[in-house]
Amino acid sequence: MSALLSVENLRVEIAARDRRLTAIDDISFTIGAGEILGVVGESGAGKSVTGTAILGLLEPPAALAGGRIAFAGRRIDTLDEESMRRLRGKEIAAVFQDPLTSLDPLMTVGEQLVETMLTHLPIKRKEAFARAEDLLRMVGLPAPRERLQAYPHALSGGMRQRVVLALAFCCNPRLIIADEPTTALDVSVQAQILDVLRRMCRENGTAVMLVTHDMGVIAEATDRVAVMYAGRLAEIGPTRALVEEASHPYTRGLMASIPSLTRRRDTLVQIPGAMPRPDAPVSGCAFHPRCPSAEARCRSERPPAFAVEASQVACWLADPARRSVSA
Amino acid sequence: MSVSSVIRRVAGAWLDGDLLYRFRRSPVAVAAAALGALLVLAALGADLLAPYDAFDPASANAADARLPPGSQGLFGETYALGTDPQGRDMLSAMLYGLRTSLVVGVASVGLAAVMGVLLGLVAGYCGGLIDAIIMRTADVQLGFPAILIALLIDGVTRAVLPREVHERFAMPVLIVAIAASYWVQYARTVRGLVLVERRRDYVLAARVTGVSTPRTLFAHILPNVLGPILVIATINLALAILTESTLSFLGVGLPATQPSLGSLVRIGNEFVFSGDWWISTLPGLLLVLLSLSVNIFGDWLRDALNPKLAQ
Amino acid sequence: MIFVLGRLGQAFLVLLAAALVSFCLFRFVGDPVNNMTGQAASLAEREAMRAALGLADPVVLQFVRFVGKAVHGDFGMSYRFGQPVAGLVLERLPATLELSVVSMLIATGLGLPLGVWTALHRGSRLAQAVLAVSLVGIALPTFLIGIVLILVFSVRLGWLPSFGRGDTIQLGPWSTGLLTGSGLRSLVLPSVTLAVFQLALILRLTRAEMLEVMRTDFIRFARARGLHRGAIQYRHGLRNTLVPVVTIVGLQFGNVFAFSIIVETVFQWPGLGLLVIQAIQFGDIPVLAAYLVLVALCFAVINIAVDLFHLAIDPRIRISGGARGAA
Repeated sequence: MSALLSVENLRVEIAARDRRLTAIDDISFTIGAGEILGVVGESGAGKSVTGTAILGLLEPPAALAGGRIAFAGRRIDTLDEESMRRLRGKEIAAVFQDPLTSLDPLMTVGEQLVETMLTHLPIKRKEAFARAEDLLRMVGLPAPRERLQAYPHALSGGMRQRVVLALAFCCNPRLIIADEPTTALDVSVQAQILDVLRRMCRENGTAVMLVTHDMGVIAEATDRVAVMYAGRLAEIGPTRALVEEASHPYTRGLMASIPSLTRRRDTLVQIPGAMPRPDAPVSGCAFHPRCPSAEARCRSERPPAFAVEASQVACWLADPARRSVSA
Repeated sequence: MSVSSVIRRVAGAWLDGDLLYRFRRSPVAVAAAALGALLVLAALGADLLAPYDAFDPASANAADARLPPGSQGLFGETYALGTDPQGRDMLSAMLYGLRTSLVVGVASVGLAAVMGVLLGLVAGYCGGLIDAIIMRTADVQLGFPAILIALLIDGVTRAVLPREVHERFAMPVLIVAIAASYWVQYARTVRGLVLVERRRDYVLAARVTGVSTPRTLFAHILPNVLGPILVIATINLALAILTESTLSFLGVGLPATQPSLGSLVRIGNEFVFSGDWWISTLPGLLLVLLSLSVNIFGDWLRDALNPKLAQ
Repeated sequence: MIFVLGRLGQAFLVLLAAALVSFCLFRFVGDPVNNMTGQAASLAEREAMRAALGLADPVVLQFVRFVGKAVHGDFGMSYRFGQPVAGLVLERLPATLELSVVSMLIATGLGLPLGVWTALHRGSRLAQAVLAVSLVGIALPTFLIGIVLILVFSVRLGWLPSFGRGDTIQLGPWSTGLLTGSGLRSLVLPSVTLAVFQLALILRLTRAEMLEVMRTDFIRFARARGLHRGAIQYRHGLRNTLVPVVTIVGLQFGNVFAFSIIVETVFQWPGLGLLVIQAIQFGDIPVLAAYLVLVALCFAVINIAVDLFHLAIDPRIRISGGARGAA
């Protein structure tokens, strides 16, 4: 299966007062058609920046500084603004974190749906309205016909996020970048929204890049996981493999921090220390100051990505040379 | 909280924050501040700099009335910027006028800030009826243009006081009138902060340890509001200077014996049609330079202290 | 409905406060009897006059009577002209209203589009230049603008008249200068003078609001939906900007009214402003009192108009108002 989205050596820099800070560097991954890729990491790890870069929505002072992004076999990071606009909302849609602020407060839900469809699809206004109603029904909004006339503030947070999902799906996109779609919602609503997202993706064959910092969401909803740390990819691989037996010490730490019913623990595990900020980068492997198995080499040399079964792991522990020696 | 510690805090914010850095990086702000400083120095040194004493009737010479800039007087005086209808040296009159305008501006802004901060503290701290009275007054006043309020206060004192008395107290009356029309913004800002702060733990903690709440609020809130108040004060300084000159221009501000830039323009306005442009436009130009430098600096300061806007 | 009633109550409060202040002026500033009878009147005559004017009654009763009369437009006699104040004010009102409305049209008509344009072209040199000029517009004292315009266009070039209203036509109680050539020519310099400050202010506020709106999440989401740039900037950006800007424009109208005092003095424009400045110089309290009430009335009317506009454009208020109304 050829990849729907492929990101190679992506680098984003932020122009600061007198220097350029590196927000993300050397990020490479692919998403297959219909696949759900989870992207996890602490806040500031560069998850959202990656998503924004794919959408072509980086704004100064942040800018692409290297690498390439290809969508359906076509390079998109070099597209002009108008071609990119045609792609956004139609082929690549987005769901953002805060449903309370994602919708224009002065426009009805129906108008916003119709407006998006009329921009991208060759349909009449009337058809668009009919489809809007269907979409609202599909995302599980009660009384969809009446809701078309509603203004966003009249809906609850969960309902608004359903509307945002409807907006993302309204042109049958092939990829959805979902940036923390459930973080701002009540816990009880989170599962419902995630359910709708997953169901609609399976039904329509839509691929998702699901950005989150919630390991529970990852374990439950994704096919593969990319773990980001300090602007770099620490590990990427099948969800099952990562949850059950991660290779990177950081991923292991993350997995251990999930409170689990099966593995009883007296205390919640925490990773000591804090992630380095872009304005104070660390030499070698960015995780070494917090890593329980750090060695001299980790402080000076940055580990490349090593293949470990179906995963890619950026850690010297996964170095095949080393593994063969110790084996 | 002593005055010196307040000064130290402000100075500290200047030096270790990036305010100073941003200031140096903004040529416009530096130019505005330099111009402002130059004007303040000129006003302070009016006694030394002015070629003639603008208040000395002996220096006015009717024979030298309305001479254009660069003229020679009857007794060989040089009038670099010409003379006014009474034969006064324009340059000297403008320097003294600048001083008057600055004094009224600074004093009224200071008074407004003190009034506003105190009323805001009281409103926020007491709450209830007192708060309602102060803030409703503020609301009503906010609906009225500031210049109208200053005009009314000045007009009323004029009606109440006999002419000679009013003339003697014209400047304090003007300062109070302008201050009374600009206190609202400070009061609202401070009250808002008090309402937030008084719920904080440290206020409670301080009360438990026996420190009175007003004192805690005073010590903690004042440093917090310094930034916003500085911005409001800078922008209001430009407004206050313009209000003073406008009132004086309208003939309800300072009397002719105490020339401010506004009253100099008023005098010149009567001779616009005879082509004697310098009597009105030169003091006007000085006023514009002053107002512009303060405005630009205030604009910069607001953006610099508001990181959300600094992109 | 409750919302509107609440705002009406507030406007009523402002009016009452203005009435109270103007009553106090009337009653306690200077002695009305002295002002009306002059020095020659005997003590008995004064007492008779005092009783006739109702000045011996309790103060509260006097205030009620004052308000009652004011409602019918009766503000007594001008000390200076010996004519009823209401007549003086009504005679001068059209001149000031025409001046204020025309300059507000100029200020809004230019300030709003320029504000939007400078916000959308933030980086461009021209926008920076417009912004710099607008700061000069804020810093210029209004009277000086008038003087310079007179010097250039009346004294030097002789193109436009520098004082008075020119020829006016009487339409019932309303005298208008808008229907004659000389009336229109006379209006140019005063209205431009009065407009400069407001134009600069509206421009800068519109720009600030527009920038604020363009930073919001729903604009970012609209971009992610792939909408056309024009749709994002105008349908979403501008509409949301207009809500606060209209409020400001409405409230600025009160300021225009006040600043007309300055412009009318410079251009000898026979309106209310000129009447008021003379009233202040002569201590003509009844005129001042009437003017104060008139400004408050103007303020109240504008506030209600602004609220009605909000009610029409902003669904958030519509719903919350309705909800409170139902409760």
